[in-house]
Amino acid sequence: MMRTLRWIVYIVAVLALNFPVIVTLVTSFKSAGEISVNPGLWVAAPTLENYRGVLTVSSRLDIYGYLGNSLAVSLIGSLLAIVLTFPAAYAIARGKFGRRVLLPAVVNLRAVPLIIFAIPIYMMFQVLGLLDTRLGLGLILTIVNLPLALIILVNAIAELPMELDEAARIDGANTLQLLIRIVQPVIRPALATCAIFGFITAWNEFLFGLMLTANHAVPMTVGASFFFSASGGGVRWGPASAVMIVGALPPMVLGLAMYRQISGSLMAGAVKG
Amino acid sequence: MRSPRLGWALLTSPLVLFLLLFLGFPTVVDGVYSLSQVTFETLRTPRLSGFANYAAVLADPGFWSAVWFSLRFGVLTAVAECLVGLALAVFLSPLIDKRQLLMAPLMLPMMVAPAMVGLMYRLVLNEFAGPVPYYLEMWFGNSPAFLGADTAFWTLCVVEALQWTPFAFLLFYAAFRVIPEEVREAAAIDGAARWQTLMRVELPLMAPTIGVALFIRFIDGFRVFDNVYTLTGSGPGGSTTSLSIYIYEAFFNEAAIGKAIAASIVLFAASFLVLVGIGRLASPRTAA
Repeated sequence: MMRTLRWIVYIVAVLALNFPVIVTLVTSFKSAGEISVNPGLWVAAPTLENYRGVLTVSSRLDIYGYLGNSLAVSLIGSLLAIVLTFPAAYAIARGKFGRRVLLPAVVNLRAVPLIIFAIPIYMMFQVLGLLDTRLGLGLILTIVNLPLALIILVNAIAELPMELDEAARIDGANTLQLLIRIVQPVIRPALATCAIFGFITAWNEFLFGLMLTANHAVPMTVGASFFFSASGGGVRWGPASAVMIVGALPPMVLGLAMYRQISGSLMAGAVKG
Repeated sequence: MRSPRLGWALLTSPLVLFLLLFLGFPTVVDGVYSLSQVTFETLRTPRLSGFANYAAVLADPGFWSAVWFSLRFGVLTAVAECLVGLALAVFLSPLIDKRQLLMAPLMLPMMVAPAMVGLMYRLVLNEFAGPVPYYLEMWFGNSPAFLGADTAFWTLCVVEALQWTPFAFLLFYAAFRVIPEEVREAAAIDGAARWQTLMRVELPLMAPTIGVALFIRFIDGFRVFDNVYTLTGSGPGGSTTSLSIYIYEAFFNEAAIGKAIAASIVLFAASFLVLVGIGRLASPRTAA
């Protein structure tokens, strides 16, 4: 009895929480004619027409461009965050260096509304020629990823036995060699979590994409809204739905594949942060 | 590398330099421009104007209604997410303990970009193509205007809460699971009913996690931008202008650079004070 009730609650929760995605998925398989007569949650005559239309390159809306931009800036944003935080995390975990200022400063970034930096960054990028470039957006997404990456890596390194470092030192390794050859292989799971989590966060970012890009580096989250301002008349819901599904799919697939690691790091971030 | 402190400092230097360049420098610029009269034409030659920008911001009713929107939005969504997340975590824990895979569909909403979720609700709530108005019409004969001036705020709260309840759920589920079995057994031996064990033993043990979840969700709700921007813009009639949207619009739509930045600084100061306050409250262990 209780068991049945738990299942019912579970299923209702899953459906309610994922409702917008379900509706969009269903709509993406409807023809324009069907959408106008059947807004319900079933499809009478499924069609791939919307996806075919959306995935065909047009001069005005370039979905491959948006996807490529998102991929590039997410890779920069997640990998650069690791490159920057890995050595710092080692210093914090092993040297007890930077615990008083650097660690809290970076961790608290998680709680600062980043829009306050957006305007000067916009003006700085204008001077540096980084506006509307993948590199520029990637650099800013790195900032977004720093707090969680630093927390995850500090925790991972703090758990390693000291003997590991000492053995390497006796073998004459310098710090850089130690980090790359000895520490890196053992904390690979934590590095992978950082990379995947950072990738998802960067892919889903919107504010900086909106402010710092215009034509060449527009990411998927911003590009998707272009499909809503269709030429004349109302929104064409079929293609718009297909675009949203295509744009939301990469982080959803990654998230499902890595849900264990992601839940673990979210919890760690919450407890330590 | 002879001096160990120098070695450690070198290791942190890439991160520190990056922070100084992309956050430290913008903060200085923020500070100067907030005290200056500046337009897009005079970006490199700002003229100091004292606290005029701050005065303009603090005298702007639009600013205060944005503060009010963000505060209410942050508090309401954080509380709703934590209540539902807590109930789900406690109630579904026996189910999920045995099948960890059940966790994945519950986490899925967090993987979708909030901006994208805002766009999706445009479809969900659309009066011609959306299933919610369609079924409400069918079953009850009419459907409310979800994005009208009186209702848009509540619609946005529900949209935000539905997406981020999983976050609270996840934290509470983890905290609920690490409560040792002996604690529950001891409570049972003392004659506590299941309900009493929950209220008197389990929830107090989860209190720190509840505090953390409320705080994180409040912060994210307070600085909301993406889903509000894509679902309602700031409308109707400016009724859904969050503080982040206020700053964005002052900068991009009104080109009021000084005002936008002064508002940023006020926001920065406010969040700094909150963080310092929380840091004082939190135990030294969690503050590390």
